[in-house]
Amino acid sequence: MTTLALVVGHSEEIAPGIRELSFSRTDGGVLPAHPAGSHVVVDCGEGRRNAYSLTNPGADPREYRIAVLHKSDGAGGSGHMHSLRVGDTVTVSRPRSAFAPVSTARRHLLVAGGIGITPMLAHARDAVRWGRDVDLIYVHRPGSEAFSDELAALLGDRLAETTDEDEFGRLLDKALTGQPIGTHLYVCGPGPLLDRVLADAAAAGWPPERLHLERFVPAALDPGREFVARLARSGRDVRVPSGRSLLDALHEAGVAVPNMCRQGVCGECKVPVLAGTPLHRDEFLADDERGAAVMCCVSRSKTETLEIDL
Amino acid sequence: MGSAHTSVPRWPTSDPGLDRTGRSYAILSFGPDARPTAEGWHRQVVELGRPVWARHGGSADEVLAELAERVEAARVGWRLMLAGPQADVLAARAVATSGGLLDAEITLLVTDDRHRRVWCSHCDTTTLAEVATGDVTGCSGCGRSLLVHHHVSRRNAAYLGFMVDAETIDGEAV
Ligand code: FES
Repeated sequence: MTTLALVVGHSEEIAPGIRELSFSRTDGGVLPAHPAGSHVVVDCGEGRRNAYSLTNPGADPREYRIAVLHKSDGAGGSGHMHSLRVGDTVTVSRPRSAFAPVSTARRHLLVAGGIGITPMLAHARDAVRWGRDVDLIYVHRPGSEAFSDELAALLGDRLAETTDEDEFGRLLDKALTGQPIGTHLYVCGPGPLLDRVLADAAAAGWPPERLHLERFVPAALDPGREFVARLARSGRDVRVPSGRSLLDALHEAGVAVPNMCRQGVCGECKVPVLAGTPLHRDEFLADDERGAAVMCCVSRSKTETLEIDL
Repeated sequence: MGSAHTSVPRWPTSDPGLDRTGRSYAILSFGPDARPTAEGWHRQVVELGRPVWARHGGSADEVLAELAERVEAARVGWRLMLAGPQADVLAARAVATSGGLLDAEITLLVTDDRHRRVWCSHCDTTTLAEVATGDVTGCSGCGRSLLVHHHVSRRNAAYLGFMVDAETIDGEAV
């Protein structure tokens, strides 16, 4: 894993509880480029690493921009991110793209809930810049309308913004039943919003191939059942007790697997599966990869034994 | 994804059943063999209470022209169900995918896979012939003998044909 040592160039509270940060190289040089919808994994202190969407344009960027929602429970590293000030140093992964615009799409329908607006801001800017057809539905709490002004200027009447649950339902319904064939839908926001959009889209006849989601707030994971990881190369069996991740169990057995986010979003900890059925709990693997690989930071096994290629 | 050529998938030759996940439907059948299955789909869609546009038989060219218009006007949630000889079904599928439909939104039933559309890579003519892949057929445009390759172009929904001699080195087929 390659990380970048960057400095904070900008730190500002742009809405209540939402802080925008930018990171640059100390020499001001160009950072690795990335498609719209990419994210970086940032060290948040105490071993926590979180994934954040990049809102900056991705061609030859001189800064990476993110926006961080402060979680009131203090867990999860957002407090640390909010304490960052100009000149502080941060460790940031190279950008990863798991939520890019589909190049063959005829139109792009974006749906954002709350802080889920961050990848959509990048999508909207990119779409306007390259002349792609785009619509955005943005639902948020009253008073916490991050980026509203910029989005209104960018999108005009292609932005539908609301703080009202019922109105959101009507906007969503209208959008889901009125898109030309060839439209792709992208959604980012809290779990219940994602679940609702996916369910409503399926009910309106959208095939999964047209739906793209970014889930940064991991669903609370249950401890899961105990299983055995069989390491094919050494023939060893590693017990993975309930409540311990496969990644940690492997680590304790002396088998190091590269990892970053430990939330099933970054893709770093992928392990090939040879036999058994994984219980997938990640947001990274594509459907057609799920037979042959497992993200060991969050996923477990449905079968009593999972044979992996380690 | 997105490539003009693809190796030949196996098209279903028995009724795959109605895709019930759509919000509205288009059902096209070509030829008498396909009609009963397509009419069965039609009845089921009506029972589901969902809108359906259907064409059974008729001139294939007119049906394809109308299909292109329907695809252009279609909203996401639309499903296309096709039944008929392989040549017609693939031609309709090409119209649909070039209009933005995904394979996930198209159901196919092939009733006759003996006839193939063969695209001549030398004169750009497409010939309908009763021919298997690996066999040779005459091009209706330039008269060349074409070896039918195991490749279907998504764009023009035809098997790729090359002149037989162009494929031969020292008398051996490549
Ligand atoms: S460590 Fe990021 S997906 Fe597992």
